[in-house]
Amino acid sequence: MIDETSDRSPEPGPGTTRRRALMLGAVGASAVVSIRPALAQTQASVINCEIPVPDAGRAGSYIAADGSVVPAGTSGAFPPASLAFKGDDVKKALAGGQLPGTTYEQNQAYVKYIRRLQQGTSGFTCFASLQMPRG
Amino acid sequence: MAERLYRAASAETLLIEPLDEFTLIFHRASGLTHLVAAPAPEIIAALDRDQISAATLLERLGTRYELGDASDELLQARLDELVAIGLVAAL
Amino acid sequence: MKHVFTVRIGPAGFRVGSDWRAPIRALERLYAGYPAPEDNIPDFTVRLFAARPWRHWLRPSITLGGDFVLPEAAPLPLSQGVLAAEMAMNLQMAMGQRRYLLLHASAVEREGRAVLMTGLSGAGKSTLAALLAARGWRLMGDEFALIDPASGLVHAFPRLVSLKNRAIEVVRKALPEGRFGPLLAGTPKGDIQHLVPDSRSIARMGDPARPALLLFPRFGFDNAERGLGPSEVFVRLTQASTNYVALGERGFAAMTRLVREVAACAIDYPDADAAITHVERLWATL
Repeated sequence: MIDETSDRSPEPGPGTTRRRALMLGAVGASAVVSIRPALAQTQASVINCEIPVPDAGRAGSYIAADGSVVPAGTSGAFPPASLAFKGDDVKKALAGGQLPGTTYEQNQAYVKYIRRLQQGTSGFTCFASLQMPRG
Repeated sequence: MAERLYRAASAETLLIEPLDEFTLIFHRASGLTHLVAAPAPEIIAALDRDQISAATLLERLGTRYELGDASDELLQARLDELVAIGLVAAL
Repeated sequence: MKHVFTVRIGPAGFRVGSDWRAPIRALERLYAGYPAPEDNIPDFTVRLFAARPWRHWLRPSITLGGDFVLPEAAPLPLSQGVLAAEMAMNLQMAMGQRRYLLLHASAVEREGRAVLMTGLSGAGKSTLAALLAARGWRLMGDEFALIDPASGLVHAFPRLVSLKNRAIEVVRKALPEGRFGPLLAGTPKGDIQHLVPDSRSIARMGDPARPALLLFPRFGFDNAERGLGPSEVFVRLTQASTNYVALGERGFAAMTRLVREVAACAIDYPDADAAITHVERLWATL
């Protein structure tokens, strides 16, 4: 971990080797450059992703109270969301908020649906990115 | 006036890769990558696992290296940069 | 979505749903020969849809949807359906790829080792990749190179090669036998025509390669060459990656290994022939 070129030399005294030179005034204004994400990977990418409920492949199906996808019109189940939810809204809902335009029960069902998203279902990569601590 | 003490981020949170005149530091706690040039890696190494004042640090550096421009102001500037990005804590 | 197209490109499976048949038909034709998503499970979803019902038929325009979207993106005319699908698929990769470190670079392979070429739009990544493929290199990709953090190998993403403006003529001349998509004139990026990768490149899309040369080409300058040190390469490559930061420690390890182990060079070139000569010469010195 230690910089390979730094000396762990003992106190200088007669017969010891010369110390390496070091300047405290850094070349350029600062000695530190932090890697900034390129434009495409800013946190905004979370806000820009969408999760449809249910996924496009099962558009029209209803969402049961436990989050599973059921045939349209199933009693007790909720109709599909008219618009895909934005990543930012889903993130808040996962943390205990409520998805926009939903009743309490509808929100519960939709959130359970989202939590059960599998790879390959539209919205999964968006959901997965919301789980990551960064971006 | 009480002196500020400085402490480097713990060794476990830093991945340090010297490349050329620059050294890469990945800071696990923040997930950020920093490119640092001398004397930053040397300062971090000299702090070791201790909490020391800037004056003590300057002495340590002077012992290990031939400091061409030893000055409190310059060292303070370098420390402030490292504190700003979280690689060093000011206590 | 009434019309559906699925395809696997390298390790990524896509599902494209469309309100219109035409783009799906065009994609099926151009991607004929490509495999289906693994286990028929796509990794990414793209939707080409009409934002308002009348947009289905009246001056039909495609709004892009998918797991990741750019809300400010302007819709595209139906005639540019293949371009719309490509842009949307690129966006899913750029935003959603987590398994591999993604570099904005073209890649070609010979004898198990690869040249990666990266740079700003217009630097010539796609054109150089197509021309090298015409000379027998395997085309691994013209837009994205995927680095496996565990092995350091580069994995192929051989999408349709996107050629723009003057590059179209240059490549058509070099590849008279090539399969090309329709000429899309007057797109937001100028004239665009897609080149289908040759069948060998498609067949071998699952074969990774060891990166052996990193090139930073610049088009429109006198021939010049400059070796690059690892820290400069590191910074340039992080700016050429859409998921470096999101990958965290894995990304750091992958990128550090890449810049330590692979020779890197910035080359300026006045025209494509000069570039190809330069690349082949550099390759011979490795």
